[in-house]
Amino acid sequence: MSDVILQAAGLHKSYVMGRTTLDVLKGVSLGVHRGEFVAIMGSSGCGKSTLLHLLGALDVPDRGTVKFDGTDVFGGSNAQRDRLRNRTFGFVFQFYHLLPELNVLENTLIPCMVGHSVAGWLGRRADLRRHATDLLGRLGLGDRLRHRPNELSGGERQRVAIARALANRPQVLLADEPTGNLDAATGCEIMGVLTELNRAGQTVVMVTHDPQVAASAHRIVTLSDGRIRNPKA
Amino acid sequence: MYKLFLCLRYLRRRRIAFFSVAAVCLCTAMVLIVVSVMNGFLQMVRDRSRGMLGDLIMENQSLQGFPYYQDFIDQVKHDPELGQRIYEATPLIISYGVIRFPSDQITKPAQVLGIRFDETCRVNDFGKGLFYEKYYPGTTTLKPQKEPRLGRDEKGQYVLPTYLEAARSRWEKSAPPDEIAKAWRSKAVPYAGPGAYLPLPDAYAPSGVDTTGLEPVAPAYDGPELPGAIIGTDMVAKRLPTGEYEREYYSRGSTITLTFVPFTDTGKPLESGTGMPSKVFRYADDCRTGVYDIDSMSVYVDFDLLQDVLNMKEDKYTGEQGGGVIPARTTQVQIKLNAGYDPRATRDLLQKQWDEFFMSRIHSVRTPDLLRRVEIRTWEEKQAKYIAAVEKEKYLVTTLFGVISVVAVFLVVCIFYMIVQQKTRDIGIIKSVGATALGVAQIFLAYGAAVGIVGGGIGTIIAVYFVKYINEFQHGLERLGRVFHMDLQVWNPEVYAFDRIPNQVQVWDAVIIYAVAVLMAVAGSVIAAVKAARIWPVEALRYE
Ligand SMILES: Nc1ncnc2c1ncn2[C@@H]1O[C@H](COP(=O)(O)OP(=O)(O)O)[C@@H](O)[C@H]1O
Ligand SMILES: [Mg+2]
Repeated sequence: MSDVILQAAGLHKSYVMGRTTLDVLKGVSLGVHRGEFVAIMGSSGCGKSTLLHLLGALDVPDRGTVKFDGTDVFGGSNAQRDRLRNRTFGFVFQFYHLLPELNVLENTLIPCMVGHSVAGWLGRRADLRRHATDLLGRLGLGDRLRHRPNELSGGERQRVAIARALANRPQVLLADEPTGNLDAATGCEIMGVLTELNRAGQTVVMVTHDPQVAASAHRIVTLSDGRIRNPKA
Repeated sequence: MYKLFLCLRYLRRRRIAFFSVAAVCLCTAMVLIVVSVMNGFLQMVRDRSRGMLGDLIMENQSLQGFPYYQDFIDQVKHDPELGQRIYEATPLIISYGVIRFPSDQITKPAQVLGIRFDETCRVNDFGKGLFYEKYYPGTTTLKPQKEPRLGRDEKGQYVLPTYLEAARSRWEKSAPPDEIAKAWRSKAVPYAGPGAYLPLPDAYAPSGVDTTGLEPVAPAYDGPELPGAIIGTDMVAKRLPTGEYEREYYSRGSTITLTFVPFTDTGKPLESGTGMPSKVFRYADDCRTGVYDIDSMSVYVDFDLLQDVLNMKEDKYTGEQGGGVIPARTTQVQIKLNAGYDPRATRDLLQKQWDEFFMSRIHSVRTPDLLRRVEIRTWEEKQAKYIAAVEKEKYLVTTLFGVISVVAVFLVVCIFYMIVQQKTRDIGIIKSVGATALGVAQIFLAYGAAVGIVGGGIGTIIAVYFVKYINEFQHGLERLGRVFHMDLQVWNPEVYAFDRIPNQVQVWDAVIIYAVAVLMAVAGSVIAAVKAARIWPVEALRYE
């Protein structure tokens, strides 16, 4: 738990809905250390997802900064942020969000395809496929490579989503209620996977409203009323 | 990489995309077919015009014609500059009359043309359209002739006089085998060669009667010598749906009567004897220019003979200030140039010569305006109005169909918009893993291009084959129509003046239309691409 890999400072985010303004985040500051497993908790609608999106450069804050490895995420160009999303962060969503037309392996490889030109892809295809197959194998999907998402159970889909998030060997894995749509047993399974990954050195930031799920993390921070209540554990 | 991958995958998996492919395909095919047919039509009009007229035409648009044509032809043929350019020049009389077929007592209006047979064959494509001259080369003439009648040989087969049989075997030696097989065998009389000939009374046997072993009958030239006439094919033969002609009613050498309308050089009807002059001819051959209006009206006879009948030969007149000579007249002179000489430039040279020429003669005739009004025009200028009309029609129809095709673009716009709408979440996903806005836009632009390439490609292929077999389609339709007692004939030769629908696709037309189809499909995908590029991943991924 040495260096801080991801540092959010004074994040503000509000949504304008007609006449009223909804201030979701009102100055959130949070540091994540390399190799750490942080759980962000809070009631539904308190802004957990919003915060996670900002941390993963998926959305832009109204005010405040996010620094990755010391460089300002929102200081650079769109292209730089696209690159960060592709290379540095891996996202896992509550609703899996797999592409229905693609099979398990192809879904997993999507970040690699996005990150490579046609020539680069063709050059490294075998490598990347091997890596993705390994990953899926470790997640227990070795024999489902050619299946389409609609042929898989919820837990399997979420594992594919995790594999996809890991395909480009991201430095930070961001998971937004990864168990939110699963029954308790399957949720446990997925948490096992995340814990396992973290034990192997993967930095994980996870959002949940379930204390039992959050218990797997090293550190739990609580978001309420737009602020972090217990930043240092 | 993902752009190509997703683009291909969507093309394969989204069934709705096939509707846009189909729309692009149909529009491409439609425009290419229309352009090809119109282009072909225009080309045919031009070719036929030139084929009928030679390169340059001298005329004064009157029925009486103009004098001194022969002097002028001789002069320019011996001119050092023009003589080199001119391949052949021939006078031609165009007049009107009535043709009567004595065998069935049918009369029809006719355009009677007086030609010098050999010269005319050199000046324009007239000779290429002759029927009997093709199968019996060297046997067609406008000179006085008898009727060739069939005899019967010892095997019981009909035979023609040796001269004609020899000509036919000459043709068969040089003709490709499939041509020989195709050569029309007359239904009326079971003679083995093309065309229709009448058997001699002794040789005649009704069909079904076995003639083998009967006494042979020698074929013969029969009847009085009468001048020959070449008749427009559509007057003497029945056109079959296959495009071939059946010569059932009129046999070669049978007689026809022409009635003429002569004028004096001053344009007054000639008061000669009683009524209008009439003359009997023999049907020597029939000629097809391919222009229905011409082939259903024209009768070609010998120039000198017609000149005589129409009172256009050199003559004398007497008047109050004494008399004078009326020089021989023609209504037209057609000129063919040697290859490589520009008709316009030659026309100018010729016009200069003519201006000097007619000024030197203008005082020796009593009708100077006949000379003054002579104009020399190129075939293009003479047919300019007609050609321009067809050209306009071509642009009009092409534009019209082009505009209609824009519908396909809107279809692409709608379908792509729908796809983006349906795929918002997927687009959000690939953006969340780092796809750029431009990259996402490119997926849909490439998708549009793919729709254009596939749709346009299929459309082009369809059009090429459709146009290639367009006449067969038309005949099929016609036949189908007959089954249901409806008129489904799309191309009526009497309306379009050509008996075949043009069936050539120009490579450049195809290339340009294909390129435009691809561009239009890409253009149609721009809106969807922009929409996709603007999708904000967080929004797209918020809900399931
Ligand atoms: N695009 C948006 N427009 C308006 N309100 C939004 C938008 N996104 C989120 N919100 C609101 O912001 C609040 C926080 O949302 P979210 O971060 O998804 O909460 P959580 O993930 O903690 O349930 C919610 O009340 C939600 O309705
Ligand atoms: Mg949420």
